[in-house]
Amino acid sequence: MTPHPLTVRRYVLTTLAGAAAWLVVAAVAVVVGGRLWAWGSAAQMHDVLWLRLEWVATASAVGAALALSGLALQALLRNPLAEPYILGVSGGAGLAYILASLFVSVVAAPAVAVLGALATVALVYAIARRRGRLEPYTLLLAGVILNAFYGAAIMLVTAIVRPEQRGDIAVWMMGTIGAFGPQWPLIGAVAALAVAGGGLFAFLAKGFNLVAAGEDTAGALGVRVERLRVITFVAASLLAGVSVALAGPIGFVGLIVPHVLRMLIGPDHRRLVPAALFAGAAFLVLADLAACLWEGATNRSVPVGVLTAMCGGPFFIYLLRTRWRKRMAVR
Amino acid sequence: MVSTRFHLVLLALATAAALSATGCGEADAPPPAGREAGRQPLRILSLAPNLTEILFAMGLGDAVVGRSTYCTYPPEALAVPAVGDTLHLDLAGVIRAEPTLALLLTRRTEVVRRLEGLGIRVAAVEADRMDQLREAIRTIGTETGRPDAARALLAQIDADLAAVRRRVAGLSPPRTLFACPMTVGSARILVAGRGTFVDDLLTAAGAENAYPDRADWPTIGPTRVVDLGPDVVIVNAATKGPADRQDTIRRAWNALGSVPAVEAGRVHILTEPYLTIPGPRVGRAARLLAETIHPGLADEEPAP
Repeated sequence: MTPHPLTVRRYVLTTLAGAAAWLVVAAVAVVVGGRLWAWGSAAQMHDVLWLRLEWVATASAVGAALALSGLALQALLRNPLAEPYILGVSGGAGLAYILASLFVSVVAAPAVAVLGALATVALVYAIARRRGRLEPYTLLLAGVILNAFYGAAIMLVTAIVRPEQRGDIAVWMMGTIGAFGPQWPLIGAVAALAVAGGGLFAFLAKGFNLVAAGEDTAGALGVRVERLRVITFVAASLLAGVSVALAGPIGFVGLIVPHVLRMLIGPDHRRLVPAALFAGAAFLVLADLAACLWEGATNRSVPVGVLTAMCGGPFFIYLLRTRWRKRMAVR
Repeated sequence: MVSTRFHLVLLALATAAALSATGCGEADAPPPAGREAGRQPLRILSLAPNLTEILFAMGLGDAVVGRSTYCTYPPEALAVPAVGDTLHLDLAGVIRAEPTLALLLTRRTEVVRRLEGLGIRVAAVEADRMDQLREAIRTIGTETGRPDAARALLAQIDADLAAVRRRVAGLSPPRTLFACPMTVGSARILVAGRGTFVDDLLTAAGAENAYPDRADWPTIGPTRVVDLGPDVVIVNAATKGPADRQDTIRRAWNALGSVPAVEAGRVHILTEPYLTIPGPRVGRAARLLAETIHPGLADEEPAP
């Protein structure tokens, strides 16, 4: 069915090309993004490069986590509109993060956000599990409803806090790379989880391919569909949750990167998984570089989540109207 | 049947409209209260913290019958009933307070119109800059029929600021960044641009604003802070937060070792709420800034 059968050589080539592309983009983002600012002294250069390195690492970890999460959820739910936040995780993590940083502890806020994500995963699972099965439709509905509830709760918090805090919540909700103060342990944790998620999904990729052909077919061919669903749902939600803890909800990465990759390298998940890992990282690093260049040119900072949504939306429509249509016609 | 009910509703609406129209007419019966504040007892609704402060400083505290939720200074103001803010105004509370004059900051036309619809005289003032603050105090003096009290308050503010200026005269002004960190995780900070009220305070306190452009509280990232390289940083952490907020702020600044202020240990976290309130305590704010920016001053005899 696939036009090009997967060989070890093609697999390794895809992975290496992805890794190389990401490394080049990251290096450019550190140097070019840093060069905008004063390199008057060695100390200034050290500070600026270190900041750029931290932000590029954040963008890489978050981008990879979101792209993998989106790819897996689109396969699991067999829905092209699925994205990392569709199952309510961003709302749970976001509400927990906002409440923690306003009232409990600034340092613990990311950890609390991860707890919020975990609680949401458990809640969605409990709601969506019926007669021992996890139905994609029920899962989607549970996620959408929880997202609406969390959205209302965040609005309630926004309405009752002091006026100057309302703006801060709004800015965070736009998605920002780089928190106030160094975040290396959290960045490391998200990066490790992204790599682990990539490994897990690579292991499950064959199952994704078969499920895409139909769940009954997959089951008949020996895929344990139910187990695949639970593992994918929990892993993808976790990836989305930790990325929200690190950078807030950054829209469109998890939706657009998997779709673009499908157009570029076809529907085989065995190649899509490593490609999504590196392409997601590279995409968000580029978006962060664009935000950085914008700040350098205008002296105003712009949240990276706004950029990804504003550039991602039109680009997606362009692809939909041109390349996708051709591909559809071929089929 | 349906149309009969429809007509009944129309009739009820028309009656209500007529009644409310006469109601308005009665309220408007005496020619617009205008400047004759002395005739009827003055009952003031104050919808901004600095305006409430100004009223109390002018000795009009007893006339304040309503305040916004955020008007918490002076402490006596807390005894006045709160009626929300200009975004969520508790109209029932406003009507219960029976104000004759409403003071507010922004020219939110719908709030102004609504209050005027209740027969309340509205004075909307601007007080984002020092010159606007002076103008606002003068306007409040005229509107309340107390121009003398307004002049006295202005003289007091001028004397306070002049005292601070005298103390810092001759000292070289360090390049100072006035920063407000976000309360929900983001690396960005709001800084006082040139031309803001805080910029005026920094100048009075013997400092030069390290942010070079005319701007109204721009948002900047840490790379720009490194670029600006301020000699002193004042972090405004007045908004209440978790116990570890100040430690987090301190740690975040310490990571920027190349900033002269960090190197010299001149990053100061201040929590006094009046630093950013353009009101009667501007002199006090300038004095605090001066003593923070020029550490030698605090040991001297403070101005009387």
